[in-house]
Amino acid sequence: MSACLRETQVEVYTALVKAGLNMIYLVSDSVSTSKIKPFRDAFPERVVNVGIAEQNLLGMAAGLANGGFVPVTGNAAPFLISRSNEQLKVDVSYTNSNVKVNGLHAGFSYGTDGCTHHEVNDVSVVRGLPNFEIYVPCDPRECAMITEYALVERTGPVYMSLNTGNFPNVTAEGYRFVPGKPVQLSEGRDITVVALGTAVHDALEAVRSLGASCSAEVFALSSVRPLDPAPLIASIRKTGLVLTVEQHSTHGGAGSLVAECIADNGLGARLRRLGVPEGVYTKNWSAPDNKKYFKLDAAGIAEALLGMLGSRR
Amino acid sequence: METRELEATAREIRRSIVATIARAKGGHMGASLSEVDILTALFFGFMRCNPSAPDDPERDRFILSKGHGSEGLYCTLAHKGYFPQAMLDDYLGHDSPLTIHPTRHAPGVEMNTGALGHGFSNAVGVALSAKKSGRRFRTFVLTGDGELQEGTNWEAAMAAANFKLGNLVAFVDNNRLQLADTVENTMRIEPLDRKFEAFGFEVLRVDGHSIAEILGALGRIDYESDRPHAIIARTVKGKGVSFMEGVPEWHHRIPTPEEAAKALEELSK
Repeated sequence: MSACLRETQVEVYTALVKAGLNMIYLVSDSVSTSKIKPFRDAFPERVVNVGIAEQNLLGMAAGLANGGFVPVTGNAAPFLISRSNEQLKVDVSYTNSNVKVNGLHAGFSYGTDGCTHHEVNDVSVVRGLPNFEIYVPCDPRECAMITEYALVERTGPVYMSLNTGNFPNVTAEGYRFVPGKPVQLSEGRDITVVALGTAVHDALEAVRSLGASCSAEVFALSSVRPLDPAPLIASIRKTGLVLTVEQHSTHGGAGSLVAECIADNGLGARLRRLGVPEGVYTKNWSAPDNKKYFKLDAAGIAEALLGMLGSRR
Repeated sequence: METRELEATAREIRRSIVATIARAKGGHMGASLSEVDILTALFFGFMRCNPSAPDDPERDRFILSKGHGSEGLYCTLAHKGYFPQAMLDDYLGHDSPLTIHPTRHAPGVEMNTGALGHGFSNAVGVALSAKKSGRRFRTFVLTGDGELQEGTNWEAAMAAANFKLGNLVAFVDNNRLQLADTVENTMRIEPLDRKFEAFGFEVLRVDGHSIAEILGALGRIDYESDRPHAIIARTVKGKGVSFMEGVPEWHHRIPTPEEAAKALEELSK
C-alpha cells in the first residue's frame, strides 16, 4: 500500500474495476493531480478528461450517474469547491446523484502556489450540502477502506478531502472503518485532542514529544458526516479540556464540530481550536511554513497542549 | 399519433398549464407555453419512453435545463401517464413532489434543475454513458435561449463534440425573451447556428410551434453519427394566448381568474 492517499485510492479503483464495478473516473486536466495514470493505462475507456472545465466535470458526472455508472471525480479541491460549487449543490447534492467527489491537495498542500490553490473551507462548504457523506481519511489504510465503502456500499454523494504527503498508517492493522465513528488512537486522562484527517499525524507527534507530562486522548475525525459523537462526548466528559487540530478553517471544520458537540450536549468543556482562523488567508508559503505559522506542526501543537494543561494546573 | 392528434394534445397541455398555474398562483407561464410543442413532439411522437417504467435503463432521456418551464414538463408528463392528473391539482402543495423547479421526486424528471446552465452538462454525461455502455438510447436537453448566456453551456457543447455524441440533441427554445427584456437587448447570443456549428454541432432550425417540422428534424438526425445535434426552435413566449404572446411580464406573472378564463377560452378554439 502506498503512503500517498491518492495512490492508495487508485489501487482501490483498479481492484474494484477488476471485481466488476462499473466506475468511471473524471478529471478536469487533473491527470497528474489525481495520480490516475496507472488506472488510465489499465482501463483507458474508464477515464474521461473534460479539459479545464470544472463545472462541466461535475455536471457530466451527475449525467453519467443517471446513465448507471459510478462516477468518481478527482481534481484540485480549490477549483472543485469554488468553481463547481453550484454543480456540487444542484447536480450532485440536490439531485442526490451517485457521484463520488475527491477534493485533492486540500488545505495548503499546494504550498507556494498560494491562496488561489489553497482550500481550507472544503469541509465547511460541503457540510452545507445535504445528502453528501463527508470523509477526511487519516491514513492510507483508512483511505482505502473509505474509498471502497464510498464506491461499493454507499449509493449517493460522497465527498473525500485528501491532504498531500506521505502518511504512515496510524490505525492498527486490524482496524475496520465504520462510517461516523471517530478513530481513537490513544487513551488519556488530561486532555482530548480531535484532529481532522491527516492532521492527526502532527497531533500524535506532539503528544509523544511531551511524554508523561501529557496524558492525551487523541481522535482522528475522519467521518464528518455521518458523525457519531458518543466517543467524543465520553472523552470530553472525562478530560474537560479539548484541542482541535485541522489544516482547515476553524470555522465549519473540526473546531466548529467539536464546539457544537460541547454546546449541544452541555459539556461545559474548555476548547482551543488550531487551524486557519476566521477572516485570514493562508500564506503563499510552503506547506511546512504554513503549518508552522498556524501552529499546526508538532511543535505548535505541543505548545498549545502545554499551555492548556498549564492553565488548568 | 397523427400530427393533428399531437396538435390536439399540445392544446390540452397548454390548457393544463394555464389551469395549473392559475390554481396554484405560482409558476412560469410564458416559458411553459413556449416549449409545449417541442415536448409534445418528443414525448408523444418520438421518444422511446414508457410511463410505467420511468427507470428503464434503455429509455430515451429528456432533461429540462430551463427548469423554470416545469409546468410545461409536468403537464406533458401527466398527459403521458407518468402520474395522475390529480397531482397537478396539488401543484405547489407542501407535500407535492411538483415544485416550481423540477426535481426527481416527480416521476419522469431526470435531473433537478432550476439554476440555469446545468442541464446541458448533465445531458452530455448521460449521452456519454450511453456511448460508453453500448446503449442505444438518445438524450434530449432543452435550454432557453437566454440561458445560453451561462458559460457552462459552452463547456458542455465543447465536450459533446469532443466526445462525438451523435446521440445527443440540444433543443434551444428560441423565444428571444428572457426575464425582463429581449435577449437581444440584454446580452446578444446570436448567431446561434454559427456558434453551435463552430462548436462542432450539426444545426437544424425549425418552427418550434410546428410539430410536423420538429418531428421532421428529429427524424432526419443520424443518432449514430459523430456529431451532436442542435435544433434551434423558433418559438413565441406565451404561445397560444394572445395577450401573453411576446410580453416579457408573462415570464412569471400569475393570471387573474378572469385572465385565466379568457386564456382557457382562447385555447379551446
